Amino acid sequence: MTLSSTELLTIPLLPLLASIVVGLFGKRLQNSLSHWICCSGVVVSALLSVHVFLQVADGASFYGNFWTWIVSGDLVVPIGMMIDQLTAVMMITVTIVAACVHVYTIGYMHGDPGYTRFFSYISGFTFSMLVLVMGNSFFTLFFGWEAVGLVSYLLIGFWFKRESATFAALKAFIVNRVGDFGFAIGILAVWYYFGTVEYHEVFAQMPAFLARHYSLGFMDWHVSAITFICLALFVGAMGKSAQVPLHVWLPDSMEGPTPISALIHAATMVTAGIFMVARLSPMFEYSETALAVVTVVGALTAFICATIGLVQNDIKRVIAYSTCSQLGYMFVACGVSAYGVGIFHLMTHAWFKGLLFLAAGSVIHAVMADQDIRRMGQLRSYMPITYITMLVGALALSGVPPFAGFWSKDLIIEAASVRHMGWVSEFAYWALLFGVIFTAFYTFRMFFLTFHNSDRVPAKTKPHLHESPKVITVPLVILAVGAALTGWWGADILNLPGEGGEGFFGHSIFVLQAHNPMLTLEEIELNHSGGIWLEMGALIMAAIGIGLAWLMYYKPSDLPAKVAESFPGMHRFLLDKWRFDELYWRIFVLPARAIGSFLWQKADLAFIDRGIIHGGVIDTIATAAGRLRQMQSGFVYHYAYAMVLGLFGLVTWLMVGN
Amino acid sequence: MSKIQFPFPFPEHLSIMVPEIFVAAMAMAVLLWSLFLPKEKHTITAWMGIATCAATIPLLLSQAGSIGLMTFYGFFILDPFAVFAKLLLVVATLVAMVLSIDYMRGEKHMPEYYAMMLFTLLGVMFMASATNFVMMYLGIELMALAVYVLVAYQREMLRSLEAALKYFILGSLSSGMMLYGMTFIYGITGQFDFEAIGIALQGVGEDGRFAMQLGMLFIIAGLAFKLSVAPFHMWTPDAYEGAPTPVTAFMSVVPKVAGFVLFIRFLVEALPVLQHDYVQVLTVLALLTMAVGNIAAIAQRNIKRMLAYSTIGHVGFVLLGLIAANADGYAGILTYMTIYLFMTMGAFAIIILMRRDGLEGELIEEYAGMSKVRPGYAFAMAVMMFSLAGIPFLGGFWAKYAVFIAAVESGHVVLALTALLFSAIGAFYYLRVVKYIYFDEAKHDFAFRSNSAVQVVVTVSTIMIIALGLFPGPLMEICHQALIGLV
Repeated sequence: MTLSSTELLTIPLLPLLASIVVGLFGKRLQNSLSHWICCSGVVVSALLSVHVFLQVADGASFYGNFWTWIVSGDLVVPIGMMIDQLTAVMMITVTIVAACVHVYTIGYMHGDPGYTRFFSYISGFTFSMLVLVMGNSFFTLFFGWEAVGLVSYLLIGFWFKRESATFAALKAFIVNRVGDFGFAIGILAVWYYFGTVEYHEVFAQMPAFLARHYSLGFMDWHVSAITFICLALFVGAMGKSAQVPLHVWLPDSMEGPTPISALIHAATMVTAGIFMVARLSPMFEYSETALAVVTVVGALTAFICATIGLVQNDIKRVIAYSTCSQLGYMFVACGVSAYGVGIFHLMTHAWFKGLLFLAAGSVIHAVMADQDIRRMGQLRSYMPITYITMLVGALALSGVPPFAGFWSKDLIIEAASVRHMGWVSEFAYWALLFGVIFTAFYTFRMFFLTFHNSDRVPAKTKPHLHESPKVITVPLVILAVGAALTGWWGADILNLPGEGGEGFFGHSIFVLQAHNPMLTLEEIELNHSGGIWLEMGALIMAAIGIGLAWLMYYKPSDLPAKVAESFPGMHRFLLDKWRFDELYWRIFVLPARAIGSFLWQKADLAFIDRGIIHGGVIDTIATAAGRLRQMQSGFVYHYAYAMVLGLFGLVTWLMVGN
Repeated sequence: MSKIQFPFPFPEHLSIMVPEIFVAAMAMAVLLWSLFLPKEKHTITAWMGIATCAATIPLLLSQAGSIGLMTFYGFFILDPFAVFAKLLLVVATLVAMVLSIDYMRGEKHMPEYYAMMLFTLLGVMFMASATNFVMMYLGIELMALAVYVLVAYQREMLRSLEAALKYFILGSLSSGMMLYGMTFIYGITGQFDFEAIGIALQGVGEDGRFAMQLGMLFIIAGLAFKLSVAPFHMWTPDAYEGAPTPVTAFMSVVPKVAGFVLFIRFLVEALPVLQHDYVQVLTVLALLTMAVGNIAAIAQRNIKRMLAYSTIGHVGFVLLGLIAANADGYAGILTYMTIYLFMTMGAFAIIILMRRDGLEGELIEEYAGMSKVRPGYAFAMAVMMFSLAGIPFLGGFWAKYAVFIAAVESGHVVLALTALLFSAIGAFYYLRVVKYIYFDEAKHDFAFRSNSAVQVVVTVSTIMIIALGLFPGPLMEICHQALIGLV
């Protein structure tokens, strides 16, 4: 069964149209008309996506090209779509979260001078993200990849008059450049080796490609072509999905308005890397090295960012580090060949992380744009809906059943424990397990400090405290329902582990039999041979984390200060975020600046401008122009003389030449 | 009583020169009819001229498929190359006439002006179809004589008259050179026909070689004059400045197109033997022309003089197509000429709109601050200047690209790089105009005449330049098609 191409085209084009109309005519349209256009565009997209998802669940799919974008010699780039189970899951996740965020924005951005611009951007983002997931080739992937990056840059720097915001936007852009450089190399390598950029054709050529054993050599060091391609592509994923050591931009991106922190920097764009690895599972599966790197990087990030989150005081930064860390979990899932589980966690994460951000935004809205949790506390009586929904989000993130995070995170940890990759999977397993304690701890630390503990709200903010309007609370409730139920629902419909280790995703994800941890899990489930630790380990860890947070932060106590004093170096190190920023500042920014100012002052100003241009080129040309002008005397006999002389010269030249 | 035998039989296949016959008839009709027109109705002749051009276009299009048809005993050829060139010429004449309507209103003897334009058109159409020295010379002189008159049209004005006189004297000198060259070739081969010359020259031995080269050189010099190739260019700035602005626009396109078309046909058919020599000569001339055009333009304050040097510079670039001496090069020349037509006409149209009483609107400084008063015109002028400078992705970029790439692929890499360098120098004076328009404060009031005919030209040219910049493919394809039967 094939899906209707009109319907598929409508899904990304509606937000694009809304974005263009509001972007161009936003000033003329009223604010209310602008948000109606954007919201209805995205909501219709979301409904259509659900419809597509239902059809895909019944076995429908789509693959086809709509038109040819570039023809240049051997390079033919068609624009088309590939819709299968993986795409469908991504589509509903993206469009539903985007729809909630659109509605939420009506309340959150109310009265902002850039109101229509903001709507134009987020609708444009929705379009770009849909292109990214729905495309059928590396080029549409790349287009979407760069387009979401661009919108992300624009939105982080949305309040461009704030210096920290423009700085954060630049940082995000530059760090992503590093990643995208690798990504572009990966795509070019694919084109070089396969001669095509369409997924289907590349995947179809994989066996023949592997049989030829291509390898790249540099000095004495050899690497197989497939590993090279996968690693290069993964560098792109590290940038976009904020993995250590390219994670530094994501916490700073919190300078942007909260709705986009929820939409772009939690639920959708940052997950593009995970989607890409899952989409390209037919390639990653054939490179043990790449899989190991994915696992290690993911596990490192999951652990490091979780530890940094323990001590942050900015409510959005806590959630941002949590995002990095959760993305690490997803990469570990991909690395141990449980791609479906990674996507499952991506989906549940989109719900509860979107929810946490929007709830945090609601809190920030109430306390007059203060984001420091040290100046909050006891807010639950003022904003009950935000309180309840955020509690749902926190439980989901910590992995408490039956909320969403439990189902997916537990599966990741189980998958990591049964997959045998030597020290790699061992390391990943323990990093993730300890990550669960930290996750539960920082989540509930943030939660208790905000809604319980002592009332530390400054006096002048007090009268302003209130529950947010409906346009903010309704999306919160919708997302809360999702955060509560998608785990259970997803576990049911996605059917993971599922028969034959495939489950819902079927052939849209490719896993070698020898790798598939789902097969092992299925076996264990059948034999009930897992043991209590495998099944309950994560839950026990989460309980420990929540318990610790409750001990230290539920009531005002001096316990946190004491702990910090006992490990001053450790505390400082975490507060400084493992000093990544300082390291980059020393080894990249300062030298780059030094080179830049050298080239500017010495090479450009002194040598080229003063030496060559003013010394030579300009003077010569100006003199020549002046001479030529003098020669144009206005006397006809001078002109005739020039003609005759020219002819004479040419004749002489010919004679001499003979 | 013996039957009187006309010296020649009546030529066959006259139908292939229907457009020329039509233009000639209309030119004379305009001249004649104006005698019976009251003076205040003289503008009608402008519309007659425009209608003539417009009607010639379908006539030409109907001939588009003909390959290598001859008439007048092989003096006149009709092939896609000629048809394409004539279409350009007719369109350029049409546009120049549209630019003239308002400019010439109230001048004396206006009907003659349009008649002269039509005669010029007839001359250049002959040039496009000439396959023979006689036809070639006839076309060139018919064109030149009419243009002399057009330049001198405002004869009360001293500079107009001076310009025409200079142009005429130097033009005669160049005609003398060309005729002298023809005598050499005729002396060696005994032929007037290009193809026959080409065949005959193959049999000429080493001892006749220098005479051949001499003939070639003098003919090239004569054509170089018409094309403003340095060092035969010096009449150009004076004539451009002195002529009425629509005439300047007209003569910076029409004779150049016809000259290059004739040049290509002459080189391809008559001188394949001397290819090595003429490539060398043209290389020297091209270098000189590019240098003079692009450097001297920098020192100009009058925009018409600046555009005169700009024309010289562009001619230098176009010569690269001749130097490439292959189908790509010739197709590049046709592409260049097509795009050049719209750029030049658009730029001159804006200059005409700037005219206030008499001479003003010609100094570059007067364009200062235009963007604030008339953003539309300012944008159009900026597009023209960017395109003339060859900024991607406007038409002018592809024009240069077409000839440069042809030169590179035929092995003239250094020459193409030098051309690129001159193109960069040339960008300076085009961008200076843009700078005045957008970044300087207005020093005086702008008094744009409302003139819908000229506005149409500005709009169409701007759209064409942008459209050709974005989609150059079809034009380049047509230009290649136009060479069928020639190369």
